[in-house]
Amino acid sequence: MLRDVLRAEIGKGLRIQLAHPAGHVITLLISTMMYLGLQFVLGQGALREDLLPQTLVAIGGYWFLQYAGLVMVADLIEDKRAGTFAQSQLTTAPPWLPMLGRLISASVFGLAVATVAALVPMLVAGIAIPLRWAALLPAALLGVNVLAFTFLLASLALVSPVIGALQSLFTALVLLLNGSFLPLALYPDWLAVLARVLPTTLGTEALTQTLFEGRTVGELWNGGTLPWLLAHTLALTACAGLLFARNHRRALESS
Amino acid sequence: MIEIEALTKVYGPARAPAVDEVSLYVPRGSVFGFLGPNGAGKTTTIKMLAGLITPDSGRVRLGGYDVARQRSAAMAQFGAVLEGSRNVYWSLSAWQNLMYFGRLKGLRKAQVAERAEDLLTDLGLWERRDDKVGGFSRGMQQKVAIAAALIAGPPIVLLDEPTLGLDVEATRTVKNWIVEQARELGTTILLTTHQLDVAQELCDRVAVMRQGRLVADLPTRELLARFRERDRYEIRVEGAAPPGFDAVARDGVTTISVRVSDPIEVYEVVERLRAHGAVIESLTQVQPGLEDVFVSLLNEPSHAA
Repeated sequence: MLRDVLRAEIGKGLRIQLAHPAGHVITLLISTMMYLGLQFVLGQGALREDLLPQTLVAIGGYWFLQYAGLVMVADLIEDKRAGTFAQSQLTTAPPWLPMLGRLISASVFGLAVATVAALVPMLVAGIAIPLRWAALLPAALLGVNVLAFTFLLASLALVSPVIGALQSLFTALVLLLNGSFLPLALYPDWLAVLARVLPTTLGTEALTQTLFEGRTVGELWNGGTLPWLLAHTLALTACAGLLFARNHRRALESS
Repeated sequence: MIEIEALTKVYGPARAPAVDEVSLYVPRGSVFGFLGPNGAGKTTTIKMLAGLITPDSGRVRLGGYDVARQRSAAMAQFGAVLEGSRNVYWSLSAWQNLMYFGRLKGLRKAQVAERAEDLLTDLGLWERRDDKVGGFSRGMQQKVAIAAALIAGPPIVLLDEPTLGLDVEATRTVKNWIVEQARELGTTILLTTHQLDVAQELCDRVAVMRQGRLVADLPTRELLARFRERDRYEIRVEGAAPPGFDAVARDGVTTISVRVSDPIEVYEVVERLRAHGAVIESLTQVQPGLEDVFVSLLNEPSHAA
């Protein structure tokens, strides 16, 4: 029964998004052009091949977070405005399950944009990213980290009238600091600490360490990157869960 | 059946009750009208029934399941069309909406598909099942919303203003459907409406709310009988009315309104009319409509339910 509800929610989310494909196409175009344009400007008229692979991983993380969050929040706001949010809660399933379905469908679009945003520069600029088994765990944790943050935004979107501004603020900070412009190793220490508080940064760091420095999962653990990434993800999930529990009832009462 | 016990909801720092100690019982297979002016607390009550608003005190049971304590089972007991909202997704087709809402109630895909076909056919939407609901007329959208509320075959349906904004034909379709659901399938229907003629036509029983409290809860006939104006009569006579009578003429027939303090006085009026040579066609005691009752109830300082 729960599986049916989850499937229904994911299917609905995908269909609603695919009903208006123009927005997704525009985002795909922007995502592919923006990264190379940024790197070209930062390289003062040239692409710096030593910086491209690491920053490309980071921009992939950024686009996953940016677009999954955008789809999720926009979907919720539209649902609340139209009145369908209340109807979608008249389910035999627990209230968090439809939210999980929304999160999964939003993440499909986030992941699609992130993949295209990474693949096109790889093809255009000939950027090579080695594939290693050790990178699977950090990549998965990076994904969960992004979803936890998206869930947090969604929990805020249930009641906050300024969620659009908050989302823009957070995603702008992530773009600036998660390593999409420059690798984290080039930041001053204080800025690197600040950057690691933001979602995707620790995941990107762990991923680049395995992909480009050849570190194993054990080495990531001993070096502290993996425990911090895990703690960060758990903290985000806990905050999102608490906010959802607090805001869900209020959202229904005002819907 | 729907059971509501001392349901209360207060809002704001002033703790003003939006719904105040409301108790109701709606038996299986009946059509129950929930009436009241704007802000009376009808929608808040409906939302508490649907589990969307948590009451401050009191209890709601749907089909025997407590909405607060047995949420999942209670949710399977009803479908709802809520007022002032779209109820269904405009960017999805009628078919996709029904499939979604059916599975949201925990039904399997094949079960939902079978029922969706029946409902869309019954409501005359089968040919347009794959069209987006956003392109439908208001009446068709409301039909899809009603079908979505019914898709899981719930024993209870909550309808908040189901005919609001509909044209005559769509209103008739919805009214016929409500009667069919209750009479033939035994569905319990609770509806709110400002269209009192609709309530009078459909409802077995009506409750009237004012400022969060119930001011009446009676079978429709009994409520109308209670407010029957025992002192007012209408006498229809051929041609013009004799002088000294309060009359309205239309199509060659004149209707004379008479107010008496004792029913025996009616005979005296009839004798006076005959003395003037009037030919009496009919004599009837004035029957109030639900609208008259509603206005009377709302204007009374207080009225025991």
